[in-house]
Amino acid sequence: MSFPDVQLSKRPLHFIYLCDCSGSMQANGKMQALNQAIRQSLPGMAEVARQNPEAKVLVRAVSFAHQARWHVAEPTPVDQLQSSWVDLQAEGLTAMGEALRLVAAALRTPPMEQRALPPVLVLISDGAPTDDFEQGLRTLMREPWAQKAVRLAIAVGHDADLETLQQFIGAEPPLAAMPPAAGLAAGGDRLPGAPLPRSGRRPLQASNATSLAQYIQWASTAVVGAASMPVSQVGSPSRTEANVPLPDLPPTVIGQVVW
Amino acid sequence: MSALLPVGTTLAFQGVSGPVTVVRLLGGGGQGQVYEAVYANEPVALKWYFPSCIAKDIGLEQRLLECIRATSPNQSFLWPMALLSLPCDLASRLSIPAGSFGYMMALRPADYVGVHEHVGGHLQISLRHVLRACFFLAEAFHELHLKGLCYKDISLGNLFLQPRSGRILICDNDNVDVDGRDLGCAVGTPGFMAPEVLLGRIKPGARSDQFSLAVLIFRLLTRHDPLKGKLELQIRCLDEPARRRLYGEDPVFIFDLNDERNRPDPIDHAAALLTWPIYPAHLQALFQQTLGVGMNDPSRRAYTGQWKTGLARTLDQRRLCPHCGQEVFRALDQVSLCWACGGLLNPAPRFLTARGSVAAAADNELHPHHFDPLASERIDIPLAIVEAHPVKEAVLGLKNLSSETWTAELENGESSPVAPGQRCNLGLLVRLHTSLGSVELIR
Repeated sequence: MSFPDVQLSKRPLHFIYLCDCSGSMQANGKMQALNQAIRQSLPGMAEVARQNPEAKVLVRAVSFAHQARWHVAEPTPVDQLQSSWVDLQAEGLTAMGEALRLVAAALRTPPMEQRALPPVLVLISDGAPTDDFEQGLRTLMREPWAQKAVRLAIAVGHDADLETLQQFIGAEPPLAAMPPAAGLAAGGDRLPGAPLPRSGRRPLQASNATSLAQYIQWASTAVVGAASMPVSQVGSPSRTEANVPLPDLPPTVIGQVVW
Repeated sequence: MSALLPVGTTLAFQGVSGPVTVVRLLGGGGQGQVYEAVYANEPVALKWYFPSCIAKDIGLEQRLLECIRATSPNQSFLWPMALLSLPCDLASRLSIPAGSFGYMMALRPADYVGVHEHVGGHLQISLRHVLRACFFLAEAFHELHLKGLCYKDISLGNLFLQPRSGRILICDNDNVDVDGRDLGCAVGTPGFMAPEVLLGRIKPGARSDQFSLAVLIFRLLTRHDPLKGKLELQIRCLDEPARRRLYGEDPVFIFDLNDERNRPDPIDHAAALLTWPIYPAHLQALFQQTLGVGMNDPSRRAYTGQWKTGLARTLDQRRLCPHCGQEVFRALDQVSLCWACGGLLNPAPRFLTARGSVAAAADNELHPHHFDPLASERIDIPLAIVEAHPVKEAVLGLKNLSSETWTAELENGESSPVAPGQRCNLGLLVRLHTSLGSVELIR
């Protein structure tokens, strides 16, 4: 005597990590920090997936060094990935363009489903691409599902090629459109010496393991939430520029206090 | 997740008269973080806002203060009790930005689960308790609107449910505002927002709350979205522009009486097709009204009072199929078929009350409104409940839950007193007399 065994219909939400596994990632424990950050984020991601019954969150990962290859090739439900994540290893160059081509092939239909939620692509790198990045990006952005995807980029350390990462994300948002933040004068002009306002529409700069973990967590929970379920709308419900309104980045201790 | 407040410390917040111990971080959302805390030896919850949220939502503090002053409409809300802030020197010592604040509320009991567990198919719960939850939801909105307030941003994420009783808790009451005023930031969540609000034509208020209530009740009763039918299958990527079209520009109820463009697909939308026939026609009609003609005409939407009446009446029609044991809700005085097994349902034994018939089935209850036709419906203070005999299950009795002794008129012409806590065997009962009125048992 109970409610019939039915559930809300689901659409797949493909979440793909594109991870730089070049030799430089060995330095300063960056590779291990990334492995840890991804591992630690999985329970939170599983919880967000559970709280969004209309989404079926499926995770994959590409690693790129001399070549790009699938590190997690099968779209994997988050709770299964918790027990099966194998650490990424660092050695070689930075075949970022090839990584984008691999993802492009995965976003074609088939194997991509006819109906889905916007995919989430997270590119993580500590350096510059050593292959033809532009061609890889063109191949990727020819795919309709790539155009609809939320594309985020995390720069690890201080040597990442921010311009390349910004190209992956898409056009920079105009400064005046940024939420009120430290470093902006009234007209939206950036005060000299002030850091760029933080937004998912720019590469996120992770200069230590803690901030890397925070950005990975934000990408895997808040962004997944925004892509899977309609988000509470604030202000006038008019069109946003993007097809998935990005949630605010979490405040960090450093971000809040003037040093 | 890093905590804004120092966990494990006791702080002298402004806004309360004693110290508050921050015990642990429970979770965080887009607006802020929620902590478990202790105040005056009682466990409480504390919501602390992100500075970015405070900066964006100018009216937040005023809305909270007014909510606190208005007090909770009823026990179904986790309502703000006090606004908390930190003295400047303490705030800067803790690296908390000036102007930060939060509020204190009761702690949600551990046995309440998010309704996403139910709609996601992870919960074992009876139809009776799901219907009770819907009644409590309609009742909560009713009381909120009676206070001149409106919710504005209800969705699955704000709602919690106690599976063993059907009781609900509505959270995130910081978007509550005076109806008609617009001191808010949030306008709602697509899929729960009325179309006119999603399109930015009208600000949210009580009329759009009525739409959201209908959507929420539909989702609880069917585990399906009332606007996702064939039209949804035409959408390849369900992103924000697509949701705007589906929920705002051309929204069609999947069971609209006239418009068939959005009927459920037998494979992708099986939940809707399986569950919709469970419910009686008068309840279905409330959806067809609110999400049909009421989709684009707010004045035609069913009121909270109509939902209370319809849901209470559906509970009154509840009985168990004699073939498969499932809960069924067909009219009690007609022959019908069970939705689950297709078995024949004959007219059932029922009580004739001042408010229509109540099936004499185990766990069904008689409430004050069954005796007083003028009383508003409520299901939280039952006067009687039907119980199966502990050993002989087929024998049913009516248990006196009131504080007065009733008089039972039996088949053999005799009368028998039924003291509070005692049960009267339904096999012998003809009529029950109470000081509030009488009910007759029809077989």
